[in-house]
Amino acid sequence: MLNGEDPKLLTAIPRAACIPIFLSCIALGLFATAPVSPFETKSPRGLDFVLRNSPTAQKYLIETMPGGVALLDYNNDGLLDIFLVNGGRVTSPMRLPENFDRKNPLYWNRLYRQDRDGSFTDVTEKAGLSNAEDGNYGMGVAVGDYDNDGFPDLYVTSYGKNVLYHNNGDGTFTDVTAKAGVAAGGWSVSAGFFDYDNDGKLDLLVTRYMEWDTKHSKTCGGEWHTYCPPEEFPATTSILYHNNGDGTFTDVSQKSGIAAKKGRALGVAFADYDDDGFTDIFVANDGMQQYLYHNNRDGTFTERALEAGAALSEDGRRLSGMGVVFQDYDNDGRPDVIVTELPREIYGVYHNEGNGTFSYSSLETGLGILSSGSSGWGVGLEDFDNDGWKDLFVAQGHVLDNVEQIDPSLHYWELPLLAMNHHGRFERVDTGSTSPAAGRGAAFGDLNNDGWQDVVMTVLGGPPQIFFNHGGKQHWLVISLRGTRSNRDGFGARVRVNGQTRFATSSGSYLSSSDKRLYFGLGAVETAKIEIAWPSGTRQTVNDVHADQFLEVREPEKP
Amino acid sequence: MIRILLLFWLAWQAASPEALQHLQAGANAEKQRRFDVAIAEFKKATELAPTLAEGFVNLGQVYMERQDYGAAISPLKHALELSPDLAAAHQLLGYALLAQGYNAEAIPHLEKVQEQTALGIAQIGTGQLQQAVENLQAALARHPNDPDLLYYLGRASGLLSKQSIDTLQAAYPDSARAHQALAENYFVLRQMPQAEKEFLEALRLRPDTPELHLELGLVYAGSAQWPKAEEQFRAQTKLQPGNAEGAYRLGAALLQQGKAREAGIELQRADRLQPDMPETLYSLGKAAALAGDSVAAERAWTKLLSIEKGTSLAAQTHFALAGLYRKQGKTADAERETQEFQRLQRSTTQPERTQ
Repeated sequence: MLNGEDPKLLTAIPRAACIPIFLSCIALGLFATAPVSPFETKSPRGLDFVLRNSPTAQKYLIETMPGGVALLDYNNDGLLDIFLVNGGRVTSPMRLPENFDRKNPLYWNRLYRQDRDGSFTDVTEKAGLSNAEDGNYGMGVAVGDYDNDGFPDLYVTSYGKNVLYHNNGDGTFTDVTAKAGVAAGGWSVSAGFFDYDNDGKLDLLVTRYMEWDTKHSKTCGGEWHTYCPPEEFPATTSILYHNNGDGTFTDVSQKSGIAAKKGRALGVAFADYDDDGFTDIFVANDGMQQYLYHNNRDGTFTERALEAGAALSEDGRRLSGMGVVFQDYDNDGRPDVIVTELPREIYGVYHNEGNGTFSYSSLETGLGILSSGSSGWGVGLEDFDNDGWKDLFVAQGHVLDNVEQIDPSLHYWELPLLAMNHHGRFERVDTGSTSPAAGRGAAFGDLNNDGWQDVVMTVLGGPPQIFFNHGGKQHWLVISLRGTRSNRDGFGARVRVNGQTRFATSSGSYLSSSDKRLYFGLGAVETAKIEIAWPSGTRQTVNDVHADQFLEVREPEKP
Repeated sequence: MIRILLLFWLAWQAASPEALQHLQAGANAEKQRRFDVAIAEFKKATELAPTLAEGFVNLGQVYMERQDYGAAISPLKHALELSPDLAAAHQLLGYALLAQGYNAEAIPHLEKVQEQTALGIAQIGTGQLQQAVENLQAALARHPNDPDLLYYLGRASGLLSKQSIDTLQAAYPDSARAHQALAENYFVLRQMPQAEKEFLEALRLRPDTPELHLELGLVYAGSAQWPKAEEQFRAQTKLQPGNAEGAYRLGAALLQQGKAREAGIELQRADRLQPDMPETLYSLGKAAALAGDSVAAERAWTKLLSIEKGTSLAAQTHFALAGLYRKQGKTADAERETQEFQRLQRSTTQPERTQ
C-alpha cells in the first residue's frame, strides 16, 4: 500500500467517525452544491469560557491585548482539546503590588477536554492548571513536547511571570517553571517551541512587547482618551531559551544574538526560509521594523529583515505587526510571511524569492483591498476547502475600544477575514459568522477529525468563536510526524505532499498554538507522495499514500 | 523722525517761543523714551498754542508709543479738527482706533493715507471682506512673505469664502452646491459618513459635476473603499478626460486593488497630461513593478529621483528600487538603494525610540 522505506514506520490511523454534534458527514454528502462559507459557527456544549480582559478607564495597554488559545491533544486520545488563556481582573487604578485576582475562578486559564460526543469538559482544576498567580495578567500560550515524552507541554505567557506546565501523561500538569528557569518577566506575548540547533530538543522563544507597567501607564488621544500607541513606551528584547535536555533551559538571548536588537514584538513564527536546514525566526513588531532572525547554524542568529526585504511596507513604512504566519502560500515550496496589521497599513505579504530575499506582495495577492480597513491579529494559512491551496483566516478587531468615535469607518468589533486562495490570489468569502467581535487569538486544527480544518478564535470580553468546517468532496491527508533523531513532533521538518509544502510547527498566529498535525488538501487526487526533510537532516519519501486518512510518519532511526 | 522735524518746522511758523521750548523738550524726552515727561511737555505746548495741530499730533504719538491708544484718540481727533488734512494725524488716529477695536471709525482715516495693511485688517473687522482681500494683497505685494500679512490675507480669504458659502446655503439650501459645500466641510472635519451623504446628494442633483466625483472618490479612498473610489474617479475622468489629477487618482485606486495593467494606463495618461509629477511617477513605477515590467518601473523611479531629492518620497523611491533590484538578484544595487533609503529616512524622520 505504501512505498515507504519501512512499512513499519508508517501507522495509518483510522479516520474518526463524524461526530453527530458537529456537522453530519453523511448529510454533507447529500448536498450537491457547496455552501458559500466553508464554516458554521457553533458553541459546543461545555465550552463556557469567557475571556475577561477587564477594560478600565485607565486604559492600561494590557487590557486590549489578550488572549491566546491552543489546540492540543493533551491526553493523546485522538481528539483535540482546547486551552484558553484568561486576562485577569484590573482595578481602576491598579495598586501596587499588582494583583489580577487570578485565584478567582472567573480569571483562570481553562483547559477543556474534548469528549467522544464532541462536547467539552472543563478539566482545569483536575489537570492542575488553575494556579495562575495573582501577579500575572495572562497573554498567550505555546505548546511543545520539550522533554520528548510524547505528551504536549504548555507554556503560558503573561504580563508578569510565565509558567511552564509539564504534562505528566496522566491528565495532569506540573508547574516546572522554577526548575526549568523560564519565568522570563516583563510583558511576554507570543511564544513558540522550535529546535534551533537541531539537537532533537525543543527550544523556546518568548517575545516581549515593551517596557511597560501599570505604574508608568498613561492615556493618549487627548479628548478621545485612548490606549497609547507602542511608540510611547520603550522597546525591549525577546528571550531565547536553549533546552538543556534535563528539564532545564538556559537563557541564550545575548549569546545567540536575539537580544542584540530591541523590538516591540507581538507575534512569532518559525520556518527555514533559506533552505539551509536550520529553522529561522520571524518576529512581528508593532509600529516598527519587522525582524527576520537568520539562523547562522552555530547557535547564533543575525537579524536581517531589512536586507532581505521583509522589514517594512512596500513604501518603506513601519508596520504595526501583530500576528504572523510563516508558510508557503503559493506552492513554490518556500515559506512566505504574512503579517497582520492595523487599518490603512494592509496586511504585509512577503513572498520568498528563493535567493534569501522576500518581495512585498500584498497588492499582487489581493490582500491590499481585503485588509486596508481592518485590524488583524491571529492568522493562519490553512487549506480550508482542501483544494491544494492554503487559505487565509485572520481574527480582526481594532485595538481601541472607542475607535468608531474617532473614525467611524473603523471598528472595534469586526468579523474575521476568510480569504480563499486561488493560485496565489486571495478572495474574501463569508466566514459563517454574523457576530462582529474584538477577535484576538486564533488556532487551527480539525476538532472533529473529519479531515477539514476548523478554527477557534478568542474574543475580548466574550466567549471564543468556533468555526466548524462544513467539509466537502475534496480529498485530504493529515500527517503526524514522529521524530526519532529529530525532536519527537518533528517541529522544523519541511513536508512536501503533491507539490504543496508545510513547515512543521504549532507556532505562528498571535498568542496561540495550533494543532501540530500537518494538513494537506488533495483536491480530486486520491493518492499522495510525501517527502519529508527532517531537522536531523534525514530525507524520507513515502509514495502512493491513500487520501482521506490521518497518517503518522515515523522518522527512520538511521539516516 | 523726518515727520517730527517737519512738524517742528510747521510749528516754528505759528507758535510762541515758549510753546516751542516745550515742544522741543517734549521731543527730546520722547527720543529718550521718557514718555511721561514728553507727555507733560507736549500738553504744556498745546495749552500755550491751542490752535497748533502739530502739538496735539505729537501728544497723540507719545501716548501711542506708550501703548495708551485710548488716550491718544482725543488729541489726534482735536488735531484733525484744527487741520483736517493732516496725514500724520489720520494715520495715527486710524491706528489708535483700530487698536481699540473701532474698526469702522478707523477705516476713513486709514483710507485717507492709503495704509493698506491696517485698512485690510479693519475691513476684516467690519466684514468688508472683498476690499480687505484686495488691500492685503496689495500690501503683500510690497512686503512679500510678511507673516502678519499672510495670516490676515488667509483669514480674510477664508471668511470671504465662508460668507459666500453661507449666502449660498441660506439662499439655495437644497442646491447641489450647498450640499457640496457641506460635504467639503465634513471632509475637512474627517466626518466621512456625513461627507459621503452630502456628496451623494449633490451628485443626485447634478450628476455631471466632475469635481463632485473626484471629491467623493477621495472620501472613499480615505477609508480604503477602493472599488467605490475607483467608480467615482472613473466617472470624473469620463467627464474631464484632460484632468491629470483625476487620472492619477484613478490609477492609484486601481493600483490599490492590484489591477496593475489598468493602473499603469491611467498613470501614464496622468503623466502625459502633467509630466514629471513625482507622485505620479512613484505610482507609475509601482504599477509597472506589479505588472512585472521591471524596466519601466526602474525608468519611472529613476526619473523621479532626478526630480525629487532629499524628501520622504525620495526615500520611499530608493526603498522601492531596492526591492526591485533584490527581486532581480542585483544584490549590490539593492544594498546601495537600501543604504540611501536609510540615510534619507534618518534625515527626514524622527528616530525610533528603543531606549
